[in-house]
Amino acid sequence: MTEAVFRETTAEPVTKSVPLSHLSLELGHLYMEDFEAGPDRLREHFAEVRIWVDAVRASAARRSKRPRISTCFLIDDYFTRFSTPAELIPMVLKEAEKAGLVIDYLARESACAVADRIELAESVMHRLVESPPPGSYGSRPPVSQTGWLANGQRTPTMSRSALGEVKGWQPPGETAARNHSVFMDVELWSEKDGGRLWSCPFLAAVWQLARLGLLRHLGEPVLEPQDWKSEEFPHDWDRLPPLIKLTDTKAAFSAYRTCTLMPNRFLAVEDAVRLILDQIDVDAGALRQVADRSGGEGMAVPAAVAQRATYVFYEEPGDSSEAEGT
Amino acid sequence: MLIFAASDKGGTGRSVTSANLAYHRALAGDDVCYLDFDFGSPTAVAVFDVADAREAAEDRGLHAYLIGEVSEPERIDVWAKTEHQVLRDPPPGCGRLVLMPGDVSGGEFATTDDNLRRCVDLLMKLYHEFDLVIVDLSAGRSYAVDMALEATAQPEMSELTARWLVFHRWTRQHVAAAASLVFGRRGIVAGGVHRGHDEEALRGAIRFVRAAVPDPESPLWSQVSPTQSAWMRKTDGDLKQLASTAGIGYSQVLGSVPLEPVLQWREQLITDEDVLDSQIANQETWTALSRLAARLTDDKYWEEA
Amino acid sequence: MTAALGQSARSVLACGEVRTCLLPSFQALDGRAAAQLLRLRADEHVRVSERPTMYALSPEVLTGVDCRLPTSNGSKVRAVGTVIARAALTEGRLLQSTAYFSAPAAGPDTRRPWGQYLVRPGLVEPFGKLPQQATVEGVLRGAGRGELDLGTIAEGLLTQLRRHALLDRRVPFKSRPTHLRWVARRQPEGERASLTNFTVAEGGLRTMELRLPEDVPAAAAAGLCEDLALHDWLLTTVQQMLDNSRIGAADGPSVVEALHPVVVHLLHLWMPRAHVDAALGHLWDVLEEKPGFSRQWEKLSRRIRDRLALQAVTMPHQAFSPR
Repeated sequence: MTEAVFRETTAEPVTKSVPLSHLSLELGHLYMEDFEAGPDRLREHFAEVRIWVDAVRASAARRSKRPRISTCFLIDDYFTRFSTPAELIPMVLKEAEKAGLVIDYLARESACAVADRIELAESVMHRLVESPPPGSYGSRPPVSQTGWLANGQRTPTMSRSALGEVKGWQPPGETAARNHSVFMDVELWSEKDGGRLWSCPFLAAVWQLARLGLLRHLGEPVLEPQDWKSEEFPHDWDRLPPLIKLTDTKAAFSAYRTCTLMPNRFLAVEDAVRLILDQIDVDAGALRQVADRSGGEGMAVPAAVAQRATYVFYEEPGDSSEAEGT
Repeated sequence: MLIFAASDKGGTGRSVTSANLAYHRALAGDDVCYLDFDFGSPTAVAVFDVADAREAAEDRGLHAYLIGEVSEPERIDVWAKTEHQVLRDPPPGCGRLVLMPGDVSGGEFATTDDNLRRCVDLLMKLYHEFDLVIVDLSAGRSYAVDMALEATAQPEMSELTARWLVFHRWTRQHVAAAASLVFGRRGIVAGGVHRGHDEEALRGAIRFVRAAVPDPESPLWSQVSPTQSAWMRKTDGDLKQLASTAGIGYSQVLGSVPLEPVLQWREQLITDEDVLDSQIANQETWTALSRLAARLTDDKYWEEA
Repeated sequence: MTAALGQSARSVLACGEVRTCLLPSFQALDGRAAAQLLRLRADEHVRVSERPTMYALSPEVLTGVDCRLPTSNGSKVRAVGTVIARAALTEGRLLQSTAYFSAPAAGPDTRRPWGQYLVRPGLVEPFGKLPQQATVEGVLRGAGRGELDLGTIAEGLLTQLRRHALLDRRVPFKSRPTHLRWVARRQPEGERASLTNFTVAEGGLRTMELRLPEDVPAAAAAGLCEDLALHDWLLTTVQQMLDNSRIGAADGPSVVEALHPVVVHLLHLWMPRAHVDAALGHLWDVLEEKPGFSRQWEKLSRRIRDRLALQAVTMPHQAFSPR
């Protein structure tokens, strides 16, 4: 075949693959209010998490004799900036260690918006493909105009019909409803000071995609972990790489599946994350790589991306009624 | 080129005259698209004699397109679909003549951002496809006029040449109404400037067409008494004076169409057969329409007065 | 659900529509600008190929659908899935968009969670059994109101691109867009692809039917159809310009003026099967045999060159200075 002789690289883009563990286990997600509550709060958190970590490891062992599990931890530096890496990270690592936990990878939340000058959230937004309500024959729904994403059809806005009478209230409807609807409408971003503020569920969806090894930029992996051997951490969040590797674990950051351990107040946020994940058209090359390799290891992933994420929601220790999810 | 056809009131012969202009330009070899934006009372289907084709198109016309119900408005190829015998055999070398009909169940509607977006997309696309795009707008200061002004004010439309024809009948009331439609406080010019048009440029792109003008010298009036004849001449002169004072005098007129009995009875295209063979229509009408059609794109008639 | 992931369920049919038009830009775009125009997604490459012609292909984007399939016999079959849309720019001059999907012989009777459709891009599943013949005819005839409308999706993408800030929205000459609807029936792997029908209909519509072995992706068929649509557009457009009375009868500088854009913008675009999948290139042979696409193009080009040459001989001073 003469076709194989002549090649143009720009005409045949490739999707690079990323190393993959079996499970990405998130040990926590730290917000300012958690930090302000002091080290005791963290200690309580890790003590509770420890129990579930053992359960998750036991579950993973059912799929593989030698499960590759990496652990990660996320710190919010997007919605509120507090403390410094130099002050905060050693404290987190110390409290985790006390509970017998090891944090392999640590990420900043703002990395889900922009990492290494790549607008991850923006790119993911362009990949939203709205679930079509019945009757959608091809006219494109304007997701990007509204900044909201739903799991069905909204209540029609009060409009007058041709004859001018005002119609009564009509209920919204969940597209995949079974008998009755659970309708949900998620705000993806808001405009603030001329800039776009991504919502917590949207960034969390990007975070899930990163952990599932499904993010690429022009075929290249993004949010690649950087080794951090030093005990010292910078005094400015911007000087900390978006994702750092703190141990010499062989388990890769990204994995076939994710498990996230979090207080039950995040349940609504994570439900919204699933709603978003269910409507993202993920990079086809990356999707294929994950499918092939997980299948090859005899632990094929569920087809739908949202199904690859599991959670443990636990009761928050102590009085946290004041604490609210961002 | 885009031509918007407006009129002060209904019954000015705007639709039928602009349809005839489209026909003349197509005969001369231009590809012409005629858009029926007369949302209240679409008549183009009758003028082009394409009722059956319209029937087959259901409600997929411009109205349905602009409010987003269909992705593309129906196109009717007039030469192929007309029931008019003469039009069915267009002379060799003529251009395409396409009608985009309105919707029977249409009606006026307000200009929303989405409607406007679709209007701009459509005009832009047709502008790149046809030599001439004629848009027939509902009478008076209508939503259709608003939409046309708004659409042509969009920055992406700045490269397009758009011209306006304002049709009016040759009576005192119509002359005053036409002047007010264009230059009045809520007129086309003020409305256009409000939407971002340059006043000079917009004024320069508007010309008047006097429709159904009785010519006192016409043989039509050869039977009238000397008194009547003198009165007609005097009134005609007064009207010219009035038009001039109202700012729509000779320099602002692109042309006139004489009073044509055929058009008084029926809104239709005047074919050369009507003039030459059956002789039901006047040669003067044919000549006037032909001249007017040529002037649409003749820059000489659109220079600053 | 054990649907093989990333793999399309075995499809029996692929359908698409290509729209072809002149790019609304006074100058042809260079490779970089073409890539910028077609960058439908910030994180995905635009494929740019410089040889043998400059050709840029956008990433594929999805549109979700849940509606009736177009059918010729009125059978009402609901279908759910995603339609792929993509755009291509050839020599920075001719813009095309395609919407296409594949369909399996049968699907489940209920709608799946949406995420399961998204991992099989371009697959539209019928509820129950697919009425194959009726769907083929329905797609070629065009969608009725409320039916899956490939034309709407293809046109939507074209409209989006025409609005791009990169374009000055001026055209060197007027021309008419065309649309080509195609269907490909699947046949067993290893058999040779074939073209069974290519029809030029009125109103700028062309229809095409082919047979496609299972191992050839629908995207390859879309590429072939784009290539044929592009060359058909060239033939149609140049023929129309020559037929125009003002060129046919007139002489003098007006002929040069009218034909000048053809020479500058179109004559060099003829390059059949330049970017067609190797498994499908031979389908061109049928059309080269009859009616003879390239023969007709040769003839048209010669006519244009002859007219211009004649003009140069008779009016040497004016011929090559169109105003």
